[in-house]
Amino acid sequence: MIKIEKRNDVPMALYFFTPFIAIILTILGGGIIFYILGFNPIEALKFYFITPISNLYGFSELLLKATPLCLIAIGLSFCFKSNNWNIGAEGQLTFGAIVGGGVALLFYNQEGFYILPLVILAGAIGGMIFALIPAILKTYFNTNEILVSLMLVYVSKLLLDYLVVGPWSNPEGFNFPETRQFSDSSRMPLLFEGLRIHAGIFLALAAVMLSWFILYKTYLGFQIKVSGLSLKTAKYAGFKGKTMILVVFMISGACAGLAGVGEITGPIGQLHRMISPDYGFTAIIVAFLGRLNPFGIIFASLVVALTYLGAETAQIFLQIPKYTGQVFQGMILFFLLASDYLLFFKVKILNLKKNELRH
Amino acid sequence: MATDLRISNISKIYPGCIANDNVSLQFKSGKIYALLGENGAGKSTLVKILSGVISPDNGEVFLNEKNLKLSSPLDAKKNKIGMVFQHFNLFETLSVFENLSIDANEDNKSLRVRINEIFKKYNFSIDLDVPVLNLSAGQKQKVEIIRCLLRSPKVLIMDEPTSVLTEQETEELFISLKKFCDEGILIIYITHKLKEVLSLCDEVAVMRKGKVVSVSQTQNERVETLANKMVGQKLAKIKKKINISKNKDEIFKVKHLNFYSDDPFETNLVNLNFSVKKGECLGIAGISGNGQNELFQILSGEIITPNTSIIFRNKEIAKLNPKQRREYLMAFSPEDRISQAAVPELKIYENVALNNFKSSNFFEKGLVNERKIKDHSKKILSDFSVNTDNVELKSQFLSGGNLQKLILGRELITAPELLICYNPTWGLDVGAINYIHETLIKINDQEKSTILISTDTEELLKLSDRIAVIYKGKLSKIMPSEEVTPEKLGVLMGGGSID
Repeated sequence: MIKIEKRNDVPMALYFFTPFIAIILTILGGGIIFYILGFNPIEALKFYFITPISNLYGFSELLLKATPLCLIAIGLSFCFKSNNWNIGAEGQLTFGAIVGGGVALLFYNQEGFYILPLVILAGAIGGMIFALIPAILKTYFNTNEILVSLMLVYVSKLLLDYLVVGPWSNPEGFNFPETRQFSDSSRMPLLFEGLRIHAGIFLALAAVMLSWFILYKTYLGFQIKVSGLSLKTAKYAGFKGKTMILVVFMISGACAGLAGVGEITGPIGQLHRMISPDYGFTAIIVAFLGRLNPFGIIFASLVVALTYLGAETAQIFLQIPKYTGQVFQGMILFFLLASDYLLFFKVKILNLKKNELRH
Repeated sequence: MATDLRISNISKIYPGCIANDNVSLQFKSGKIYALLGENGAGKSTLVKILSGVISPDNGEVFLNEKNLKLSSPLDAKKNKIGMVFQHFNLFETLSVFENLSIDANEDNKSLRVRINEIFKKYNFSIDLDVPVLNLSAGQKQKVEIIRCLLRSPKVLIMDEPTSVLTEQETEELFISLKKFCDEGILIIYITHKLKEVLSLCDEVAVMRKGKVVSVSQTQNERVETLANKMVGQKLAKIKKKINISKNKDEIFKVKHLNFYSDDPFETNLVNLNFSVKKGECLGIAGISGNGQNELFQILSGEIITPNTSIIFRNKEIAKLNPKQRREYLMAFSPEDRISQAAVPELKIYENVALNNFKSSNFFEKGLVNERKIKDHSKKILSDFSVNTDNVELKSQFLSGGNLQKLILGRELITAPELLICYNPTWGLDVGAINYIHETLIKINDQEKSTILISTDTEELLKLSDRIAVIYKGKLSKIMPSEEVTPEKLGVLMGGGSID
């Protein structure tokens, strides 16, 4: 018989170390999969994890992919830390991109320094409003935020589909499902000539700093922490539970909206159907891999961004589908949860004699 | 046939703590034995060893000179050792009979016959076909006892059996236990309560820090001698203070408190009206589950009920949340100190910051003032003699007594006009209980008021100026405590009426 017991004292150092164990196990697991598929595992892993970042362009691509992941995960950490399960960041990203993109399209034939800030602000507000829907339904109608936020992802994606095919489609675009190109004033400034990395990365870094400050140095952060550990205590202490739910969802939605607007004003430059390779969902993995800690999230977003890049390189050099990226992301989450389980619980195997089992 | 149970040199070591240190005891049928000790004295470990839940590192158990191998609860059952735990192991939604038939190896017909025989023999009467959730605590305990009796046990171990019972139910239990004893069942009775040892048991073994410190005949003992053996130090006896609060102002007044819940596990409250005077302690007695939880949460502001009027220091506060009520100088100490009053994963100073009253300046302009919180926490730790001065310690490492001192300290350091506490000494050892009681008395001496919701009648009689009983969500009339006896309380707590 197997018995599972909670460990009383889990060392903090180990708590921050297990994500590394999960990453190592993921790489090993990936090697095994490549081996089974008939590739030389070492070579395949090299294509996956080293080749993509072996030159400056690759490194810039890594940061480009890490930026939205980091932004969204930072926002999600507010929700997850306070026991609010916002699963719909992908929808908030999409809606943020729609609102921000809408503003950018208004100015498609104009130039001006004020346009980009307006677009960014619109994106953040869009994400915020979209996140408020599950939050308000939760606080006032007791709905489950997991279901509502998740289902709203499809609502926003279908809305985007409708807009780019219908009313917002480019009149000179030969009926391709995409909008006009944004004007240069609506585009994120590039950091280096010839590389795609853009100023959005500063938004992500600012979000990291700001979230660290809010979570660890303010009363709001304290309330989030207590509510996450014990809702009973939060109630007893008299925290305004409803307000807090609204606030964390707004922060989370704004971050996702920023990520969305960063994508369309950065590398994409217009609205079309595929503005995000599920960054909003993958960021959930990033948030947990980073232990909901702002600086941990930076690290985690780089690791997970690499799985996106690796998948693309592997597709080119090894002719395997780029969806292996999702396999790796899944493995990271799996190994992280498994090592957490062993971290927080110990498994004991008890010897029972046969006749006792029969009894 | 006589039963002889011998425990020989039992040791059980946990990391950092010796739970049982070379414990040897001998029990013979025909007597009722008490096993007495504070929390953490090693009683529970010993009982778990006897019931096969854990295995000792060393030592043996003999039943009638047969060496028992107790490696699972089934071994204990097979060897006719029965156990009634403090918390019932019953399926609430199943009927009494279904609960009893779950682990019986016989058909329902003969089981019913045997149960009815037991009913007749011991004068029990419980409807076998009602769901267990409809039973009172005393009846549930009887179901547990019947479950043991069905296996015709040689040894019956009772773990803190009276903590949920009324005085009447306790008396009934004692009568039954004496009957079992006369029939040759060896009874081991585990308790904190000294008076029960004296009135029920023939012999008493006292444990302290894992060791047996004394075995004696109860007729040679008094409450004080037993308490001293248990705690290991002379206890200063707290004297009951004299009621001096007549004709004082009422500072707290509740009118038309009604609460209706859809949740079948919550109790509805029906039209409660009471008031508290300055410097007074109002005791609210009752068996747990009669609405105390709901009452506490309404008084603290965790639940807001419509149409209720709560006046505190001439202000209507019924619509305020706990934080706002604290601003008016109320303080709250809930029953669940581990997962409500404090968060085990938080450090001591973070737990202190939970009581963020206005003048504390813990959070100035929304920012954490860590130094202020820490200084404040240090003061609480020393003023309320918590046995650490490390405010960075996570509160899960505090013992129950120290955690309760920390919580009371946190609530009291604001000098509140009214403290509402619910079972403040639940599960604590005698030393900590005394400290908490002294503290509560001190509050009243300083002309501050308390509402003490408690399931411990002794505590209520010791501390309260007036006492009311809550039963099924209704409050009895409020009586001056000098007119109240434990028996009277017991009657009211069990739903009876006096006069």
